[in-house]
Parts: sequence; structure tokens; C-alpha cells
Amino acid sequence: MFSANSNSSVVKNTTHKVVLPFYLYAALSFLVATVLLSFSTGAFTQHFFHPQILAITHVMALGWGTMIILGASHQLVPVLIEGKLYSVALAYASFVLAATGIPLLVYGFYFFDVGWPAQCGGILVNLAIVSYLVNLGYSMAKSKSENVHSVFIFMAALWLLLTTLVGLLLLYNFTGTILPNDSVHYLPLHAHMGIVGWFLLLVIGVGSRLVPLFLISKYSNDKLLWVIFILINGGMLTFIISFLYFPKNYYLLPVIAILFAIGLFGYYCYQCYKQRIRKRVDEQMKISLLSVSMMLLPMTILFIIIGLQVFGNAKVNLVIVYGFVVFFGWITAIIFGMTFKTLPFIVWNKVYHLQAGLGQTPNPKDLFNSKIFLAMSLGYFVGFILFIFGIYLKNILMLNFASIFLIMAALLYNWNVIKLLIHQPAR
Amino acid sequence: MMKVITNNNIKCTIALAALENVIDPEIGLNVGDLGLIYNIDFDDAKSKIYVSMTLTTQFCPMGESITGAVKRVLENTFSEKEVQLHLTFNPPWSHERISEEGEKYLNL
Repeated sequence: MFSANSNSSVVKNTTHKVVLPFYLYAALSFLVATVLLSFSTGAFTQHFFHPQILAITHVMALGWGTMIILGASHQLVPVLIEGKLYSVALAYASFVLAATGIPLLVYGFYFFDVGWPAQCGGILVNLAIVSYLVNLGYSMAKSKSENVHSVFIFMAALWLLLTTLVGLLLLYNFTGTILPNDSVHYLPLHAHMGIVGWFLLLVIGVGSRLVPLFLISKYSNDKLLWVIFILINGGMLTFIISFLYFPKNYYLLPVIAILFAIGLFGYYCYQCYKQRIRKRVDEQMKISLLSVSMMLLPMTILFIIIGLQVFGNAKVNLVIVYGFVVFFGWITAIIFGMTFKTLPFIVWNKVYHLQAGLGQTPNPKDLFNSKIFLAMSLGYFVGFILFIFGIYLKNILMLNFASIFLIMAALLYNWNVIKLLIHQPAR
Repeated sequence: MMKVITNNNIKCTIALAALENVIDPEIGLNVGDLGLIYNIDFDDAKSKIYVSMTLTTQFCPMGESITGAVKRVLENTFSEKEVQLHLTFNPPWSHERISEEGEKYLNL
């Protein structure tokens, strides 16, 4: 009846040594992005194809969003596939390659030196994603369990690779003519592969597992998740085909499909919330749940942009607002919430793993300062709203003022992350 | 009242009292009141304790830490015994397994 081997089916956690560098790198990237933002407020009153905006977007998309997701997913993949990570060496490789490539790429964009630094950076980032994808694929292949969440993650990683490959192609297209049109023409394709294919698919795949896990909810609905999966991937394929072969009016179809998918995910989260066992919901979960509804904000702006485009009247500053809301709004809010749900557990496991049950150990949520978390959330919210108005009204003073709040939020975020990373047990 | 099946009520009470120190860090409730322990059987002849337990979810990232702590605490409490721990998800954990004290703590 009893197995001689204890912990026979327990999830094997990935070593913290692999995961924590990703978190630290992401935290510093967010700080760098907000500082660059404050030096580049003027760029936000011009066209979205501006070197400084490109640089900040890539710090946010790669250094902040992607790095933290790669780190967290190295930790979460064993949880999702009920197995273990295939290779720690590949995980290190993806960190080193991305950590080296991103600054080169960002430097290239910021100073618009799209020669070797940016190209070299682009190649390194692509190699990092290949390492991640191989690791993910082998981990899944070796696992006996298959579930909808891991399929979401793998598909998202495929979209990420496609995004970075197209990005590299666009980079080479700056210096030599490879594509029929100039690189600016293909920016919406590159951007939405990343935003929808990578970020949205991944957030829903991981979120649909973590939200019920942290709320201790009884709700589960794999059928609904498969519908969401088909809507997003179908929407993206329709978008690519429309973009390449049909007039832009057909964009409405993929936008509606994706909006519907977001609505269904919102419904999924609401059901998890309604059927939760744990009544008290902490601040980190509140922010994470709020970020689900924040997905609707960029989608609404996109609807307006497409509507205006149909009448040939799309406003450039609205496009910049859209990009800002995606990276500094939706993605940042999710990361804020999820960092302080996942990182304390990783650190707790690292520090207190062998002490559990043998004496008083703090709760994971006590390993960071909740007052600083609250101040960070407040500063972020004020800065975010002010910056949107600043872009729309093309008001430099408002943009400068807003960027100070965002830097403050980034500093407080880094404070708490570093506090967690250096945590030692009380003697 | 905790719902644990055992072949020795007295030793089981001692074991559950010791397991009050093993807290699920996410929920803040001990594994006994949370209803994670299914069986505790004592085999004095073989000097072994057989524990059958579950986790709130199969995907619990703290599983390794919680099961390790259960084993450690029981080995410390019954120092002459070897603990054999069996993790099972059949039947899966449900909130009905939470004790009255646990329900009060969680405001259920």
C-alpha cells in the first residue's frame, strides 16, 4: 500500500540558482527603462518609430517582461508538467545569452546604430530563446503528464521565437534590403506576435494555473481554456494572413477573436474567484486579478486605432499610448503582482526548506515589505495614468512629472526584490 | 475534528500535535487542520510509521518542502521509528477535509 520512496510524486523544484538571476535582471531592467523614459520624454510627443521609444520598448519587452517570465517559467514548468526541468545548463545558457544580447540591442536602438551591436544583440537573444524552447520541449517530452497549461506555454514560446526571428530580419532589413517593404511597415506584425502570441498566450496559460492555485479555488475548466487557445492562435494567424495578403480592414476579425478570448479568460478568473476557498485575497493577487481587466484597456485603444484607420485618420500619439499601456500597464501590473506571489516562495524554499516544521519560520509573504509594496503600487498607478495623459496631450511637463513617479515605483520594486534576494534567517 | 485514519489513537494524537508545526506557507494553516494527512499507521514490530498524505493541489510548488517537513517532524517526535511517507492524490484533497479549527482560521 505504501511506497518506500517518500515524495515519489511531488514536484521537483528547479534550483533557485537558475531562477533568481532572471528576477534580478528583470528588476534592474525595469529601473533602466523608467530612467530611459525620463530622459526620453520628448520622444513620446513624436512618431512611435523613434530610436528612444524602440530602445525603451525592447528594455520593457525583453529585459523586463521576457526575462522575468523566463525565470518564473523555469520554476513553474516542473509544476505544470509534473516533472522536472530537462536541463539546468540550458537554463543558464538562455540567461547568459539574453542578458548579453539585450543591452547590445537596446544600445543599438537608443543611438540608432543598427550595425553590429544591434545585430549581434539580436542573434544572442534568438539563441537564448532557442535554448529556452529546446529546454521546454525536452522537459515536456520527458514528462508523463500533458495538460492545457503546458501547451499554452510551449505555443507561447514558439511565438516568442517567431517574434525574435522576425525582429532580427527587420534589423538586417535596416542595413540591406531583404524584405519587399521597409522595416517600419512590418512593425505591427513583429509587435503583435510578441504581445499576443508570446505575452498574452503565456499569461493566460500560466495564470489559469496560478490563479486557482493561489486562491485555492475549486474551479477548473479545461474546455474553456482550449477555446481561448484556439481563439488566440486563430486570431493571430488571421492577423498575419490579413497583414501580408489582404487590406487592413480585415484586422477587426482577429481583434474581435482575441478580445473574446480575453473576455473568456476574465470569466475563468471570475469563476475561480467566486469558487475560492480562501476568502481573504492578498494585495498581490488583487493586482494580478486587476491586470486581467487591464488587458481590455489596450484592446479598446486598438479598436479605436483600427476604427480611425478605416477612416484614414489614425493618431500617432494614440498608437504610442497603446504601446505604453501594453508594456507599462498590463504587463507591468501582472509582473508586480506575480513577482511578490512567486519570488517569496522561491526564497522561502531556498532559506527555510530544511527548517520547515522544526521551529518558527516566517511566512513567505513576510519576507518583503508590504508597505513598500503598497507605496510602489500607488506611485506606479499615479505615474502610469499621468504618462498616458502626457502622451495624448503631448505635454512634456506632465511626462517628466509622471516619469518621476515611475522611477520611484521601479526603485521601490527593486528595494523589495533585493530585500528578498538577500534574505537570511534571523539568528 | 481531524479526519485521520490510524491504528493507534494515542500515538496519532501525539503525531498530529507535532504536525501542528508544519504549516502550509501559502495558507498559513498546519497540515493536520488542513486535512492533508489521510492515514498514520504505527508498526511497532518493524519500528516504522506509515504516513499517507496529500497536498491541496498536485501542482503545489511547496510540496517538496511540506512532505519533507512532515517526515522530519515525525522522525524527531518518534526518534526510534523510521517514517515512510506516501503522497497520494487519490482521493484528491477537498475543502471538506479542513477541521473546524481550520475553518474558523480561514473564515469559512
